[in-house]
Formats: sequence, structure tokens, C-alpha cells
Amino acid sequence: MDVGNSVPAEAAFEPLLQFEMEMGTFLSEWQHCDHLSTYLARMISHNRADPVRHSNFFSSALNELLEVSFRGGTASGQIGLSIYRHGPVERVQITFPCPAEQVPFYREAVQKIDRSDAHARYLDSISTDMAPSRESILLDLAINFDASIRIEESTSPAVTLIVDLPLEGLVS
Amino acid sequence: MSVTGLSPNFKVAFDANSQVFSLAGVVRPRSVDEIADSIAMLKQAIDDVRGVLYVDVKRLIQMNNTAFHAFVRVALDACRARADLRMVIVTSSVVGWTTRMFGHLNQIEPQITVEVYDSTFYPGQSFVEDTSFIPILRTQTKMTWRHERSILPRHGLRPGIAIADVCCGIGDFAVLVQKEFQPARIVALDHSKASLAYAREVATNFGITDIEYTYGDASEMLLEDNQFDFVSCRHSLQIFNEPELLLKELYRICKPGGRVYITNEKNSHCLGEPRAQSIQWTYNEVAKLFSHFDMDVELGPKSRRYLADAGFDDILVESFMVTNLDGDPQDFADVITAWENVYAGEMAVRRGDTPEFIERFRQGFRDHIFAALHPKGYAGWPIWVASGRKPT
Repeated sequence: MDVGNSVPAEAAFEPLLQFEMEMGTFLSEWQHCDHLSTYLARMISHNRADPVRHSNFFSSALNELLEVSFRGGTASGQIGLSIYRHGPVERVQITFPCPAEQVPFYREAVQKIDRSDAHARYLDSISTDMAPSRESILLDLAINFDASIRIEESTSPAVTLIVDLPLEGLVS
Repeated sequence: MSVTGLSPNFKVAFDANSQVFSLAGVVRPRSVDEIADSIAMLKQAIDDVRGVLYVDVKRLIQMNNTAFHAFVRVALDACRARADLRMVIVTSSVVGWTTRMFGHLNQIEPQITVEVYDSTFYPGQSFVEDTSFIPILRTQTKMTWRHERSILPRHGLRPGIAIADVCCGIGDFAVLVQKEFQPARIVALDHSKASLAYAREVATNFGITDIEYTYGDASEMLLEDNQFDFVSCRHSLQIFNEPELLLKELYRICKPGGRVYITNEKNSHCLGEPRAQSIQWTYNEVAKLFSHFDMDVELGPKSRRYLADAGFDDILVESFMVTNLDGDPQDFADVITAWENVYAGEMAVRRGDTPEFIERFRQGFRDHIFAALHPKGYAGWPIWVASGRKPT
């Protein structure tokens, strides 16, 4: 099943980097989100026009995805992360095991990004939520990072988020 | 106050005198509890201020949504409770996501506004970043490189090290260093997007792909601490109104044991023969003119003091003179013509100088050119080079 907002037609995304980690190990330390996002962002940004600022921008977005995985993931299985590039866009594909009953919530959160009231709901979330929900984090990516997001589901209790980030244009 | 429970780089401070609450560094907490002290400080700051609270996030490098929601919630609640309170959130154009994220707040609460700290961070910026200056900068670097090429190794530049060229301008020095010294990594930073665009084009034309050009504010860089073996900052301390701030940043990104290398002028010591008096008068006036705009183009010989005050040791200072005898004298003349156009044609006019003054001011530059092109003439432009080691 494939649900998502306006991702452009499949283009020739070139693989840049692939990363896998035991979910139990990932969940053992919150700082993994920060360290991984900083390190991976620096690696994939080195040949962007402005590597320092691209890395900063990309790290922000990637960290939020890792934090979503951290908060929603279960300890069995692996977290997998792949980063691809096509022109000014980086694609992040992140897969993490999660309880089966949680999957519909991710699906719903991704679907809501496409709705016309997305901006209003994002403002409402900032205005009223004490802590960000997974929906408001995905809205943050869509609104502040111009991300296109879709979700892929498999038979195993896992979620794959595919997030296209056109950051090269934003940075430049 | 520093909050060290999260990242050691996360800093929170409140300056009651200027009513500025500032957040800097990286803050990515798992829960709001981890930033409870910082939240409490913001609440206290709000209680203490009258009128406007400035929230400075210029140096906020990373903030996750958990922290963003927590801080924003306090700000919004305060504005709802106090009709007299205004908040100005100061972001940086360098850290793009902050302006986007904080920019929404005004739509929620009109008492909160967002200002992008950008174009006026040092007084001489409009002159220095004037794109008409670009062609002559290349000539200047060509002339100074003849000297610096042999000077740089004495100040620690060697192959295989990590280099940052801060205030790189059009990036030609970085290209020359890359070709001559083959560093392991070279980052070149400047605040002029036009200059950086030019730099990238030149690098592309020369087939150079491994210089990391980056847009940034030299006094508040995104670059991390202790990263570079050699940090250069050429002809730039002299045009910042607060060179100490800049040196603090150069020190921060330099590795312990690494060196910071600076070059600066003492414009009143530009000289020429014949017509020495007229030339000397004009360059004395150049120093006064820059001083009017809070720039110190007499800084060169003060480099030793600045480096010492910034905490460097093993300070080395030397000087060299670019002259009309270095290569083509017309290059020297072209540089002086560009100076005349900017200094007399723009800066003196901006200061409100009389036409009589400007004419005399121009004459000194013309006499300098005359000396440079005279078959028996001599014209010079002195530059001070200094470097210091960051203690280990």
C-alpha cells in the first residue's frame, strides 16, 4: 500500500548512502538521533553548493524523522535508512519496526499533509500542543522544509516513510 | 548561564539590560523536562521585562520540535496574558530553518515579530560587498599572493591539513591555497552571496570541486569548534567594527595547536614617489574616512595585541610591501583606481564631504597611480601579516 502527498513522478534517484542499525541499539540512547543526523547530513552535503548550510538544514529534517522512529519504534528488528539524490532533491527513506496498531496513525498523519487546511493545522499545533505530535512533525517537514512525504507499508509491522527534501533550492 | 545537560554547545542567557533572551547551539531534548531550567529562565525574563523582549536565536544551530514547541508555548502564553508585551525574535539569514519556523509565530500572535539579522551586521558592509569591487579583488589577490605564497608556510600552512578561509570574498585565495598546498579540506566562508556565486563559478571554470564555499556571518559561524588546523582571515578584521568578536570565532573553530592567520593594512603608510606629499595626505584621509564608518584600516600593526588579547600564543608578525615593481605596474594602478572610485566616489560622498575635499582626495590617488606608472617611480601598499597559535 502506498499513501502520500504530492511526490513527483519517480525520477532517477541516485543512492548516496545506506545505513542499518539494530533497533534495540538505536533505542538505547536518545543522542543517536542527534549524532546520526549530524554525521549523515555532513556526509551527504559535502558536494552541495553550500555544504555547511545544506548540512545544517538536512540535519534538522533528518533528526525529526529519526526522533519519530525513536518515539514510535519497537526494539525488535532493524532501523534502515537510505538517502538518494536527484538534482536539488534528497530522498530519505526510513524504515522502522513499530506496533501494527500504530501503522494507521502514520498513514493518517501522512494523508493529512495533503489537505488544504494543513497550514492552519500546523499553526494550531504550535499554538496549543505542549509537545509535538507525529502529525505536527510531518507537517513541520512539509511546511518548513517543503518536503513531500509518503508512506509505504509492508506485511511486517514496520513503517517506511519516504521524504523528498528539496533543500538545495532553499539553501541557495 | 550555560545548560550542559544536553549538548555542551547549548547556551541560554538573559541580558536584563538590553532585554535580550538568547538561545545558542544545539538543543534536541527528548522531553521538556531536560530543558526545564531554560524554560524557567525564559519565564523569568518575561516577568522582568517591560515593553519589548528580544529573543535572539541567531546562533541557534539546531532545535528539535520538542524544544521549539516548549519555548514557543511560553512565548505565546505570555503574549496572551500581557497585552503590553511585545516580542521580537531575531533570526539569522544563515540558519535558514529558524526564519521559516519562527516566522509562523506572527500569524498566531501579532505581538510577536520576527526580524532577520542580516544586512547591517557591520557598518562598512555595503561598501565591502559592493559587487563592482569584484574584478579588482582578483588583481589584489594576485599581487599579494606573490608575497604570501612564501610567507604562509612560516605561519603553519602545509599540505594535508584542514583550512578555513573566513571572509573569503571572491574565493581566489582559497583557490590558490588549494592548488599550492593541497589541503585535506578547505572551507571558504563569506557573507556576500554575489562574491560566493562568483567564487563558485571561478572554481567550476578551473575544475576545482573540493572547496566548500559557504554563506555565513564570520562573527557567528555555523562551523563547529576545534575543526581547523589553519584559519585565515585576510583584510577583514580591519573592516569589522568589532574585530574582537571575529577573532573569538576564529579562535573557536581553530584546533588547539592550530594557527589563525590574519592580514591587515595600515593605509596611512601607503606611499609613492614622486608626489609623495599628496599621496600621503590622501591615505591619511583614507584612514579617517574608514574610521568615520567604524572601520580601522590602520589595524595592521595592532595585530599582535589583538591576537594576544584573544588568547593566542606563539604570535608571529611580519609585513610586506606590494609595489608597482611586482609584475605589471598597470595592475597596481588598476587597484588604486578602484580604491579612488569607492573611497572618493562613494564613501566620501556618503560622509557628506565637499566637492573641494573630494577633488583633493582624488588627486592623491591619481598621484599614486602616476608614481606607479612613472618609469622611475615607486609606489607601495604595505600589509601586515600575523598569526597566533591556539594553546593546546
